[in-house]
Amino acid sequence: MRLIGRRSKERLILAGTFFLSIIAIIPLLSILATVFINGVSAINLEFLTSLPAPFGESGGGIGNAILGTLIINSMACLFGIPLGIFTGMYLSEYGQKSRLGTAVRLVVESLSGVPSIIFGIFAFTLIVTTVRHYTAIAAAIALGLMMIPLVAKATEISMKVVSNDIREAAIALGIPKWIRTTQIVFSIAKSGVLTGCLLAFARISGETAPLLFTSLFSFFWPSQVDQPMASLQVLIYNYSLSGFQDWVLKAWGASLLLVLIVVAINVSVKFIAKPKFKGSA
Amino acid sequence: MVYKLETLKLKAWFSEKQVLNDISVQFPPKSVVALIGPSGCGKSTFLRCLNRMHELVPGAKVSGQVFLDDDDIYSPKMDPMDVRRKIGMVFQKPNPFPNMSIADNVVAGLKLAESHSKNDLAEIAESSLKSVGLWKEVKDDLKKSGASISGGQQQRLCIARALAMKPEVILMDEPTSALDPASTANLEGLIKQLKNEITVVIVTHNVGQAARISDLTAFFYLGVLIEFGDTKKLFELPKNPLTEKYITGRFG
Repeated sequence: MRLIGRRSKERLILAGTFFLSIIAIIPLLSILATVFINGVSAINLEFLTSLPAPFGESGGGIGNAILGTLIINSMACLFGIPLGIFTGMYLSEYGQKSRLGTAVRLVVESLSGVPSIIFGIFAFTLIVTTVRHYTAIAAAIALGLMMIPLVAKATEISMKVVSNDIREAAIALGIPKWIRTTQIVFSIAKSGVLTGCLLAFARISGETAPLLFTSLFSFFWPSQVDQPMASLQVLIYNYSLSGFQDWVLKAWGASLLLVLIVVAINVSVKFIAKPKFKGSA
Repeated sequence: MVYKLETLKLKAWFSEKQVLNDISVQFPPKSVVALIGPSGCGKSTFLRCLNRMHELVPGAKVSGQVFLDDDDIYSPKMDPMDVRRKIGMVFQKPNPFPNMSIADNVVAGLKLAESHSKNDLAEIAESSLKSVGLWKEVKDDLKKSGASISGGQQQRLCIARALAMKPEVILMDEPTSALDPASTANLEGLIKQLKNEITVVIVTHNVGQAARISDLTAFFYLGVLIEFGDTKKLFELPKNPLTEKYITGRFG
């Protein structure tokens, strides 16, 4: 111990953490680099806007999968975000100490750890086996359910950090609790909630397993939400295993697109988290 | 009844711990009443019993009666929300709503729980800000956040917000303890003006402040009202040796 002085220990720790974080970043960067190098040549206007060419033919695009992912994600948000927000509001403002609140919190926390394939099997059993065909609605439900705990947790945390002084100010003005909750506390917490929604969106944009059981795939433009629908995730899965060189290239292109979407969301979160007014909490 | 606010055998608890014991006291209209006493003596709890804020603490209990004019605010047919609209409150730390503009802060209670026309709200905002002497300072910044102004200005904004409800009584819980001396002096002047219109009940740790601004002073110790009366008399000739000890700074 005496041989290594305090200063050299300091330097050792610094070098150690630096070295290990570099090791951690290398695989991440090489994934991004591989996807970029392989995918960038696939991306052009035709790739983004047209239907896939028949198997064995070159050309065509993945427009239907891009649109399909957008539709499925939007439907998932449509019910996952409101349910998540109201659950979070309940947990933060109403159910702090009640038995129901504790139960809801436990369920929410457990749900966020459930593997995505379970949500897929659930939607498959509930809907696909009932209507006897694959449908994008089932995919949206599986993904929406996955969003609920993420959005609920973000809402609960952002509302809980709003100072109690603010709640007391509203109480002392005779403002009813539901108005205080929605128009004051929630309004102050909004940027945190929005951040949570975006991160949940980014998270479901990468999920493939729930879609394999539910929306499956289609070679046509999405026309009805109760039919199978193309998506970027399943397209990557199908094309990359096809062995057909043009499709493999398109899978790389689709991967790049998906990575760009997720990165763009994560970056934009940093800007959205800014408060509306200068000086507000 | 000649009193604006009267308590009768008011008792209060936090869970099992009783913090107020049989407080019976009367406050005349258009006066400033100071509540003084060492930390933990129950003066803030007493204040929070006067607008039914104490009962919101989990496990807290209140018994006894509090009359606003002739109505018991603890009677079952009283809605606590209505009580709080008639008896406004200003807190120790300025707490403007950070998500609202200065103008919206002033009329928050009216805008969120009642229906008023935009013109009415703008007029009420202006007159309330004028009555706390803040209008000239913020009239060009009404759209800025309520949290963007200085602490002293924020506290006056909070008073304007309470006044906009046209309360009959306003309760203040150490409103100057987070402010600098200039803002404190400014606020003390404002409180003296307010009593032309309404009754002000103020909790203060500053004995000098109580002497400067109040007409009546109540001295609390260990949850009991030790002495209550004319501020001048209480400070010049306290009846109870405990009061004398406290105001001369020998304990507390």
